[in-house]
Amino acid sequence: MEIKKILFVTKFEKLCYNALTSLLVLRKASLEHFVFLNVIEKDKVAMKRGVGYLKEEAVKLKEIANIRFIDWAENLFEMGMEVGAYIEVSSLVPEILKVVKQESPDLIVIGRSSKGTLEQLYAGSDVSELTRQTDVPILVFKHLTEDNIVPEKLFDRPLFATNWSETNKIAVEYIKGLKNVIGEIHVIHVVKDSALKSLDTHEVQKIRKSERKRLESLCKELEDAGINARAHVYVGDPQKEIEKAAKEYQASMIILGSSDKAAILERWVGSISKNIADNTIFPCLLIRSRKNG
Amino acid sequence: MMSKKVLVVDDDPDVRSFVITVLDENQYIPLVAKDGVEGFEMIEKDPPDLVILDVLMPRGSGIRLYHKLKTTEKYKQIPIIMFTGIALNSFLKSQKVLDEFKGGEVPEPDIYLEKPADPEELAAAVKKKIG
Repeated sequence: MEIKKILFVTKFEKLCYNALTSLLVLRKASLEHFVFLNVIEKDKVAMKRGVGYLKEEAVKLKEIANIRFIDWAENLFEMGMEVGAYIEVSSLVPEILKVVKQESPDLIVIGRSSKGTLEQLYAGSDVSELTRQTDVPILVFKHLTEDNIVPEKLFDRPLFATNWSETNKIAVEYIKGLKNVIGEIHVIHVVKDSALKSLDTHEVQKIRKSERKRLESLCKELEDAGINARAHVYVGDPQKEIEKAAKEYQASMIILGSSDKAAILERWVGSISKNIADNTIFPCLLIRSRKNG
Repeated sequence: MMSKKVLVVDDDPDVRSFVITVLDENQYIPLVAKDGVEGFEMIEKDPPDLVILDVLMPRGSGIRLYHKLKTTEKYKQIPIIMFTGIALNSFLKSQKVLDEFKGGEVPEPDIYLEKPADPEELAAAVKKKIG
């Protein structure tokens, strides 16, 4: 799987040019085309009591976005990249889906602030909604300055958390496409502590050994594809352990599969991948199963 | 004498309206495309006498379309007026990179108008190219 085209969804203050430049390393993985999307939320410009549709405001906001995009595009054009832009007054998720249909990107990049709780809730629901509605992998950028993630090294040390689902197989293929940009990948599997209840030490060791073996086989597959990979088994709550592992190995991002089953569950209880994407300080690449479109 | 056909390739509906009005008022036949992909399809179907081309557009940019037209024997003679917010310097650099990357060497655009332009300025540029 190659990443040739990126849809870069920006509200400027959350995802700006330095985030974009951190993705330029993907040129080594076939990246050649950026599509910018700025959605001016309807409530910023639409019907207000006694005022009506604020066309002038919409024009102003569109022009501001256009000026930024022209500036970014000039830099990218000069590098030989292809660039396109959409500026729309609309709702975020439907507009992203519309552009995905028109442009068929290989990756969607979207920003997520770690500021206020309310803001998090809104942004988090956008990302969840997107993972439900599209099969295109989504990279969720975090508020970089607050989290102190070095954007230039985004793909240098990813942590891939696998639960051995079908979606993870797709994720592995996607990761292989990044072989020219990944320095070293840490692959982890978290054995849920509930699975170890009432087991003696010997049984626990057996589980660890068996998971370790599976991970090593996966790492071998990645190494055969030209990616340095290291295996780690963790035990406990997956969300906490994945975050812990990302910190321990100084991961530059977390890669997670997100299945259809998880998407359905998420409506009720929240899936692990959604919770991690919502709460972690690390950028998250969410890869969804292509089953059932 | 038959009116000449001018293809406007621009994603901004306001800009398209502006250009169409200028062309209408000066007795040219305006044709319209919303992006580089649609623009090329229209040129293939019925080559115009002139193209007025934006740069930053969805689907296919004017950078690629310009390069494609100027390196395709069949279309390289079609005059192009660039009409864009992208700086000329960036445009020229991008063409140079594409020359190295895709092969071929493209000429500089005859006329490069930075947005916004007055109607008279645009009309004069069209007249200069195709009379």
